Amino acid sequence: MRIPDLTDLTAAGTRLFDHVEGLAGRALERNLRLGVTGLRRSGKTVFMTALVDNLLHGGRLSFLDVASSGRLLAARLQPQPDADVPRFDVERHRAALTGDDARWPDPTRGISQLRVAVRFRTGSTVRRVVRPTVTLNLDLIDYPGEWLMDLPLLALSYAQWSAETLALAERGPRAALSADWRGWLSTIAPDAPAAEEAARRGAALYTTYLHACRSADTLLSIIQPGRFIEPGDLENAPLLTFCPLPGDRGGRGSLWALMEERYDAYKTHVVRRFFSEHFARLDRQVVLVDVLGALNAGPDGVADMKRALETSLEPFRHGSSGWLDWLFGTRIDRVLFAATKADHIPADQHGDLRRLLDTLVADARSAIRFNGAEVDTMAIASLKCTDTVAVEHEGRTLRCVRGIPVGRDRPTVLFPGEIPDGHAIFPPGQEQPYRFLDFRPQPGTGADGRGLPHVRLDQAMQFLFGDYLE
Amino acid sequence: MTDPKPAPAKPAARPWIAPLELDPERVDPVRPAEPPPRRSPPVPPVELTPDRVVAVPPGGDDGEEATEDAAEATPPLAALLDRPKSRAGRWLAAAVAALLLVALGFDTADLLQRSFAASVALGAAVALLTAVAAGATLTLVVKELVSLRRLRRIEALRGEAGHLTADGHGGADRFAGGVAALYAGRPDLEPALARLKDAVTDAHDDGEVVRLIDRELLSVIDRRAYQAVLRASRDTAIGTALSPAAILDLLVVLWRNLKLVREVSGLYGARPGYLGSLRLLRRMLANLAVAGVAESAHHVAVEALGGSLAAALSTRLGQGVINGLLTARVGLAAMHLCRPVAFGPANRPSLGRIRAELLSLPKQVL
Repeated sequence: MRIPDLTDLTAAGTRLFDHVEGLAGRALERNLRLGVTGLRRSGKTVFMTALVDNLLHGGRLSFLDVASSGRLLAARLQPQPDADVPRFDVERHRAALTGDDARWPDPTRGISQLRVAVRFRTGSTVRRVVRPTVTLNLDLIDYPGEWLMDLPLLALSYAQWSAETLALAERGPRAALSADWRGWLSTIAPDAPAAEEAARRGAALYTTYLHACRSADTLLSIIQPGRFIEPGDLENAPLLTFCPLPGDRGGRGSLWALMEERYDAYKTHVVRRFFSEHFARLDRQVVLVDVLGALNAGPDGVADMKRALETSLEPFRHGSSGWLDWLFGTRIDRVLFAATKADHIPADQHGDLRRLLDTLVADARSAIRFNGAEVDTMAIASLKCTDTVAVEHEGRTLRCVRGIPVGRDRPTVLFPGEIPDGHAIFPPGQEQPYRFLDFRPQPGTGADGRGLPHVRLDQAMQFLFGDYLE
Repeated sequence: MTDPKPAPAKPAARPWIAPLELDPERVDPVRPAEPPPRRSPPVPPVELTPDRVVAVPPGGDDGEEATEDAAEATPPLAALLDRPKSRAGRWLAAAVAALLLVALGFDTADLLQRSFAASVALGAAVALLTAVAAGATLTLVVKELVSLRRLRRIEALRGEAGHLTADGHGGADRFAGGVAALYAGRPDLEPALARLKDAVTDAHDDGEVVRLIDRELLSVIDRRAYQAVLRASRDTAIGTALSPAAILDLLVVLWRNLKLVREVSGLYGARPGYLGSLRLLRRMLANLAVAGVAESAHHVAVEALGGSLAAALSTRLGQGVINGLLTARVGLAAMHLCRPVAFGPANRPSLGRIRAELLSLPKQVL
């Protein structure tokens, strides 16, 4: 189910206002809100850092038309439009990635925003007469990937969500992790009178279960509500003291009713606000998917991630409805699914990785295309930190990756396994068919001043906003 | 970017290898010229029911069909230059050439003998001239052969580029080397070559390498070639419009077209020798025949309008525009034929801009 456009009049009003503002500003400059979405550990922060750095330096953008045709004048960081959102600290992230002790950024804990102004010469001869140079303001938002999993809640009532969560907690690897919490559930009666102590206890146990899911080896993606893990500014707020309860309805004043009330408040004050302030106004969207991490985690990890992706994409407004856009604001008309960390596998398997991603997001992709938006898939690496090399092994030439794994000093050469056709990811009889090591950035990365090295980031940029740079 | 295409189907599965970590010392730093073979998976012995059998279609697999399609899309230059001749004609030409050669040899020997008989100094002078003539001929023939080989090499490169797809890796190295060798030692292309070298990394698949060569290197040449075509078509248009006699038109158009073709093919590194140019000239004559038709049509139109001065003037201008367009077409054809990577739908050079430029000519003149 998607949210009807007018249920939230404030959001619609904001969009309308944005749009009028956009029309007025279009004469001078263009604005584009790029939504970088992705589950946790999919590489949103690195993607944004690499994208901004490459735009600023412009030396590795062969597939971005505006750069390769020499029309890109320069890009620079600008003050962001929303004054109440912290700034995305691109300098700090870049320094972490390129320093002597290069490492990946710490998990994102809160929301942040950045605006990049790209100045370029127009390509069309007609427009060149009117305005020779144009500025594109590119707005990027970084946020904890855990929060993305809140979006499916918008369409679910407390009863529905409880039922789904309970069913999920009993299955597969989650059963062991949720044992404590489910044990507590069996001791209480949901229709008993509400007691704050019980609510706190339940929420604490549920939060422990979610934390266990997050640190599990199997990379479980469905962790709802996201603020239980990454509370941001809501630490210890009453909004966060609820948990799913069995049953259908509780009487007035019961524990069930209290929890339902808090769940609804969470939805209204946290999820809907987050969505309407940051996601409802997107023009383009890139969905980063850590396919390799899921493969490492095994069949459970892949299935979990697939489901998490599908449900979290539902609330977005994809497609184009022509003149109606004018009234309700823009919709997302291009979506890119990108399998990140493609440099962790040899380059000759990139095509296989892309095909695997195709099968993973097939349903979401066709749903978005049905709504009229363009969709593409790619295998990318925001920061390339390995080389592909050839090695003779038992009479065959193998393509391997050479790089420095996280936690080691010496480079190693790894054959991580071969990504097969989409339908047989985990063939029976092959214990642990993949071993994708985490590599860290090579020392001296980005020292040549051409921008951070990447794999197909320029093609992703061309697809996402190349037409705005015409 | 209209419809995002789904990833192409995977050609064949490979035997499975468990993940393993290797010693960095053993790594071969040079990438092998050939990609690792993608073998089909081993099939265990199995008995099948006969009713599921499908006859194997004759003529091999899809790969060859693709080649034929590519070949059809861009007529190969060699085929254009070396049309199949009848065997009798070839024998005739060879026999006549041999006869001429023998006659020439006899005559030269005779001449030498007689001049030595007259005086030693005269004999020496004639001998020297003969040697120079023989040497020059030999050089010409060698140069001609080299230029033909260059054309063939470009041809081969284009065929290879058609085969390099997104699924391969490492196979584009040889292609890139071939293109780089073709344009090595061209000072005007050095920046583009350096940029290309920077842009290509080990993470690019074969299709991307070809696209990079297209974008970074060939697009530079394209722009220059397009400018040359634009210049030539304007020259032809003005020349035709101003020339007082029809025979002058013909000469102007012929000369300018020949020059343009040599210029364009030189830009792409495929400078055809005299022989190649003559063959291209034949194609251009076919184009000029079309020009003759256009001329008569114009006359009919002017007659119908009543031959006033303006109409007469516009006839000349109209002819100029048409001749200019024909020159442009010849130039664009040369671009298509001499490019090591075939034009894609996005970067195909269009007549549109040239046409707009040419159509504004009458306004400027009148």
